[in-house]
Amino acid sequence: MTILSLRDLKVEYATQDGSVQAVDGVSFDIEESQQLGLIGESGCGKTTLLKAIVQVLPRNGQISAGKIMFKGMDLLQLPAADMRQLRWREIATIPQASMDSLNPVQRVGSQLMKLLTIRGGYDKRAARRRAVDLFDLVGLDTDRLMHYPHEFSGGMKQRAVIAMALALEPSLLIADEPVTALDVIVQHQILEVLRELEQELNLTVMLITHDISVVAQVCDSVAVMYAGRIVEQAAAKPFFASPAHPYSLGLQQAFPNLARPRDVLVSIEGYPPDLREPPAGCRFAERCPFVQSACHDVDPRLELVGEDRVAACLRSNEMNELRIRAEDPTLWQNVEVARGFADQAEASVGRGDPPGRPSDASPDATAGQPPADPYRSPSKSGIEVDGEPLLEMRNVSKRFKIGGGLAGLLRGDKEQTVYAVNNISFSLQRGESLGLAGESGCGKSTTGKLLVKLIDASDGDIIFDGTDLAAMSGDELLGFRERVQLMFQNPFEALNPRFTLYRSLTEPLIIHGWKNEDTRLQRVVETLDRVNLRPAETFLDKYPHQLSGGQLQRVVLARALVLHPDFLVADEPVSMLDVSVRAGILNTTRRLARELGLATVYISHDLSLLQYTCDRIAIMYLGEIVEIGPSDAVINNPQHPYTQALIAAVPAPDPTLENPPLRIQEGVPRPTELFVGCPFAQRCPDVMEVCHNTRPPQATNDNGHMAQCHLYGEHRNSPKLKRDPIGEPA
Amino acid sequence: MSRGVVYYIAGRFLQSVMVLWIIVTLLFLLFRLAPSNPLASYIDTTFTKQQEAALLARFGLDKPLHEQYIIYLVNLARFDLGDTFSYAGKSVLDILRADLPNTIYLTLSSLLVAYGVGVLGGILMAALRGSLFERVGTTFTLMTRAAPTFWVGMLLLTFFAFQWKLLPSSGIAPAMVRYRWETEWDKLMSPVFWRHMILPTFTLVVYLHGLPLLLMRSNMLEVLDQDYVTMSRLAGYREWRVMIQTAARNAMLPVLTALTLGIGYSIGGNVVIENVFSWPGLGRTLVRAVQQADYPLAQGAFFLIALIIVFMNFIADILYSLLDPRVGASAQAQVS
Amino acid sequence: MQQEAMVREAATGNPEARFRQGSALRQLWETNLEVFQRDRMALFGLIVFAAFAIIAVFAPILAPNDPLTPLKNNEGDWIKDAMPYWLAEPGEDVAEGYTNDFVLGTTNIGRDIFSQLIHGSRAALLVGFSAAAAVAVIGTVIGLLAGYYGGWIDTVLMRAADVAFGIPFIPFIIVIAAFFDPSIWNVVIAMAILLWRDTGRVIRSQVLVIKEQAFVSAARVSGASDLRIIFVYIAPSILPLSFLYGSFAIAWAILTEASVSFLGFSDPETISWGFMLQDAFLSLALTRGAFYWIIPPGLCIMLTVMAGFFIGRGYEEVLFPRLRRM
Repeated sequence: MTILSLRDLKVEYATQDGSVQAVDGVSFDIEESQQLGLIGESGCGKTTLLKAIVQVLPRNGQISAGKIMFKGMDLLQLPAADMRQLRWREIATIPQASMDSLNPVQRVGSQLMKLLTIRGGYDKRAARRRAVDLFDLVGLDTDRLMHYPHEFSGGMKQRAVIAMALALEPSLLIADEPVTALDVIVQHQILEVLRELEQELNLTVMLITHDISVVAQVCDSVAVMYAGRIVEQAAAKPFFASPAHPYSLGLQQAFPNLARPRDVLVSIEGYPPDLREPPAGCRFAERCPFVQSACHDVDPRLELVGEDRVAACLRSNEMNELRIRAEDPTLWQNVEVARGFADQAEASVGRGDPPGRPSDASPDATAGQPPADPYRSPSKSGIEVDGEPLLEMRNVSKRFKIGGGLAGLLRGDKEQTVYAVNNISFSLQRGESLGLAGESGCGKSTTGKLLVKLIDASDGDIIFDGTDLAAMSGDELLGFRERVQLMFQNPFEALNPRFTLYRSLTEPLIIHGWKNEDTRLQRVVETLDRVNLRPAETFLDKYPHQLSGGQLQRVVLARALVLHPDFLVADEPVSMLDVSVRAGILNTTRRLARELGLATVYISHDLSLLQYTCDRIAIMYLGEIVEIGPSDAVINNPQHPYTQALIAAVPAPDPTLENPPLRIQEGVPRPTELFVGCPFAQRCPDVMEVCHNTRPPQATNDNGHMAQCHLYGEHRNSPKLKRDPIGEPA
Repeated sequence: MSRGVVYYIAGRFLQSVMVLWIIVTLLFLLFRLAPSNPLASYIDTTFTKQQEAALLARFGLDKPLHEQYIIYLVNLARFDLGDTFSYAGKSVLDILRADLPNTIYLTLSSLLVAYGVGVLGGILMAALRGSLFERVGTTFTLMTRAAPTFWVGMLLLTFFAFQWKLLPSSGIAPAMVRYRWETEWDKLMSPVFWRHMILPTFTLVVYLHGLPLLLMRSNMLEVLDQDYVTMSRLAGYREWRVMIQTAARNAMLPVLTALTLGIGYSIGGNVVIENVFSWPGLGRTLVRAVQQADYPLAQGAFFLIALIIVFMNFIADILYSLLDPRVGASAQAQVS
Repeated sequence: MQQEAMVREAATGNPEARFRQGSALRQLWETNLEVFQRDRMALFGLIVFAAFAIIAVFAPILAPNDPLTPLKNNEGDWIKDAMPYWLAEPGEDVAEGYTNDFVLGTTNIGRDIFSQLIHGSRAALLVGFSAAAAVAVIGTVIGLLAGYYGGWIDTVLMRAADVAFGIPFIPFIIVIAAFFDPSIWNVVIAMAILLWRDTGRVIRSQVLVIKEQAFVSAARVSGASDLRIIFVYIAPSILPLSFLYGSFAIAWAILTEASVSFLGFSDPETISWGFMLQDAFLSLALTRGAFYWIIPPGLCIMLTVMAGFFIGRGYEEVLFPRLRRM
């Protein structure tokens, strides 16, 4: 039976500058017990589509045409009261940002029971029984029924919202980005819950996401949305095996895949069209590498391109051939490759520098090299691993005291120590790139702040080019600030909203004594050009809000590089960006690091991203580095049980690759105590007696691959403790 | 109550005590170090040296400043506020004890009415956001907040008391009625008293309802934007349930805090209105005491008002931590 | 969606001219401009202030009589309790010879009410603007220091704010007025001592938010000094907030001055609207229904206070657009 059927649905938003066709003629069906994944970038209209279906569009939004049929009922003809009755009894919605979807001043169980009694007609006792069952169903501890939302972790809140959505046994469950912003292990478990429920309850699901790997893991069919239109719809397996629209092809190649790492991830350059004045032809034409002149004039309709699959592309009959051509990353990366950088770098050296400062030698060094393969070299960043390290962390710890001091005493907070970073050591060569990975709260961002001296270490030494950071002050510190830069996670906050881009980029130069405005301008233009913001002059008088996220992150990169530093820390550089532009930022950063001989530390929760960009990867857990080594070794041959779990939790963007079952549970403990034994012992699936009372040794092989775990020490043959499935020692 | 909340309350209490101590010290310095001798207006030229010295001794003013300060603190702690200058033979406490209930009746009745009107009005304004009614309504409320209360009181007096002679113009009751009251209870049971309370209460409501109304409106607008409100819409609850049970319940929290704070500030701020209506409360006594240079009384009244404000600020903090389950836990800041 | 169009526009436009500007002051000016362009009520407030400012400056020229001198008619009698000529019934005793001058009549001792009204604007604006400036400046500085430096500076300043929150405002002014010579400046001093508390707290929390923003960290990583961060990065973002609280402070100051004058703690030589109302109240103008005496000063207070509110709300709507959204 067809549960939901959309026919030529159009949704408009009235804005100050005219009406925006956010959804423009969308049609599809969802059959009973089908799980449809709706994929699209931000702004493509996928959330609008959801709001239109359940009719909670904002005031300026309006359904201008089309039909929404639900189980044979025309929802658009339904009186408002009936529509309201339908919500959650028939169509349950898990909204985006569902972490904040629970009423903060009401206990979670009460909210659930209120829903059951008021909307479901349960009596009090039955509602309570049902609430307990639902908690069980989604894997929540039933003792927590009467807890407040703030006492729940992110994953638990997400489970609770799923429980609420399932409470009234709806025929259709719509989930909007159900795992975005969750840690990878939590994400894995939520997906697991969804998958189990799909099978157990025979659910019909529509899942909206930007993440194709989520769709690959939990959906049996896929629809791709672009600029208000569906451009392709197919069953999951054939879709992932052979996408039939150039946009799908690009998306698929933009996604890193741990199991089958690509040499180059593609970036779909450009931006979606302005939906106030949609183009006459194909909406993807501007960004499509296979564009032909006809594409600009003819608006392609969805056509059958295979058994039970449709795509909207004029060249769909050539798709087999295009698919092969699409494998060549240079096709997508035309900008990046076609405009090699050597010539500009050469031309600029020595001119923009103020007197008395050494001109940067590094661009010169690379200037002579052919830009033939800027993506892959034996070492990802092309380093020579000898000589003094540029940076060395020696037994560095960082503790924070919270709730202490006079104010805390007056407020009655008990003082607590947070061991954010705990006795970590590593070194970094010039030009090398290192990735820091781990769940949130593992101390990776604190490490990043320590590296750029935004905060000072509590213990241990951080040596940069022979000087201890703790001892720096005055001119020495200013010199350090010139050579070390930080790139931020959220490009929308990383630039002063009140400054033009020129002002933002010229600030570091002013601070470091560049007196001549012309040389400053020259350096700014040159740097913008380097990060592919071209023509650079057109960006100078822009304000941050006038740029897209991808462009902004390039500006952030430009600001970090405008002083030609030696060392860059990039904290989650692409996590806020759309997938189609992520690879572009990473490729540019990687290329520039190579050109400038820049040492880089990437901080990310995304292992596949680190594998793509880094020479080495360090895995952090509760402030400690539990494993570090060459990227490929860490990913392909993980030693530490925690690393193994993290890797197992990454969803593959491919429905044929099933994730191995996860052997640990979510929930990083608060780092408010120091452990006698291994910090991971509480969650470790392979825990031994010794782990609880002895610090694990650091086992290192010739490859420089270190794991800090008793499994590789003298106790390797000790018996393992049994754990029950929840992860607590029996 | 969790341990965190108990800690929080204990900490807040300690803090309030310290704030009060600082205020009391400032008060002491203000009254002792003022350019004019506190007894100057009281000591007549006809006084002999001995009389003057005796008087100074009686009020403890002959001792060195730090000793005076200690005595002052000890007396305050025992709630001994000394004797008045201008009311023969009466202690400051006697006068204030008679005034305080009147001030409290006026404050509570006006605040309760004002907050009732304000909260409902705020919900209405938020529900009707963007409409002409809302624009006119908020502008009108701003006007009532801009009008000086004493002027509104004067206008009301002119019409209701003098032109139409519907309501009494001043005091809490005619003297002959007052003499028959033996306890506060008698007063509260007397319709005459309530009749006298109508005009000052109404005047205060005109002014006081604005804050809760505007606060409730903007809180509602903010809360209506929150994901959990969207969620309860998505869950198919009726609109009034969404507005009242989910949105208003969350939006109410700051308003309740404002009400608690308002009790303290109104007791201090009713000074003007008590004078317009000759309402025998703390504010009128304070003004009189200052005019008659009765400094123990002025100091006592000021102290009492400050005490009530600090106490209500304390209560507001506690109330908030009890009403909003997140506050107690917010001590556990996040790091990394 | 719009980026492409913008890139195109940028490519064709004339970019050289503007990008070098964008100083903090210009930003502030633009915010201010936006407030008054966007919000008609705020503009109305500005016009009211401008009008009263002109009246205050030219008060001696505009006022037909001296506000404090009791007036006599040609026969040498005091012109007491004269009604405005436009209220007088034919045949009633209209103060002869002065009829056209007494737009609002005279007081019980024969002072010209209209002239008092005009002169009253001086006290109101003087108190309003100086108190607002004091409150905004003190609050901003304290909020900046507490928020930016944190630690014990923050603790001390915020405890001081707690103390200020514990002191009853009107009683405090009354006590101050009792010890110093009566003067409108008592109100300004008392407001400066106490009312920085709200501004200070709000600015502090705003600074805490801005301080943690990535662009400030970026400046620090680039080597910017504390002073540079405060003045170049933080101050421009919070100055509009100071303006907001300043506008509200104008309103509160005018209201407070009126209340204090009404209670009789003002300088009897300075005419203010509150003083006029006290005068009317004490001379039993209410019982006589002398509306021409009671209503105009109250309306003037209300108008100026509303002007302050409207401007404050204009800033609010630009700074916190959430409230504006329909």
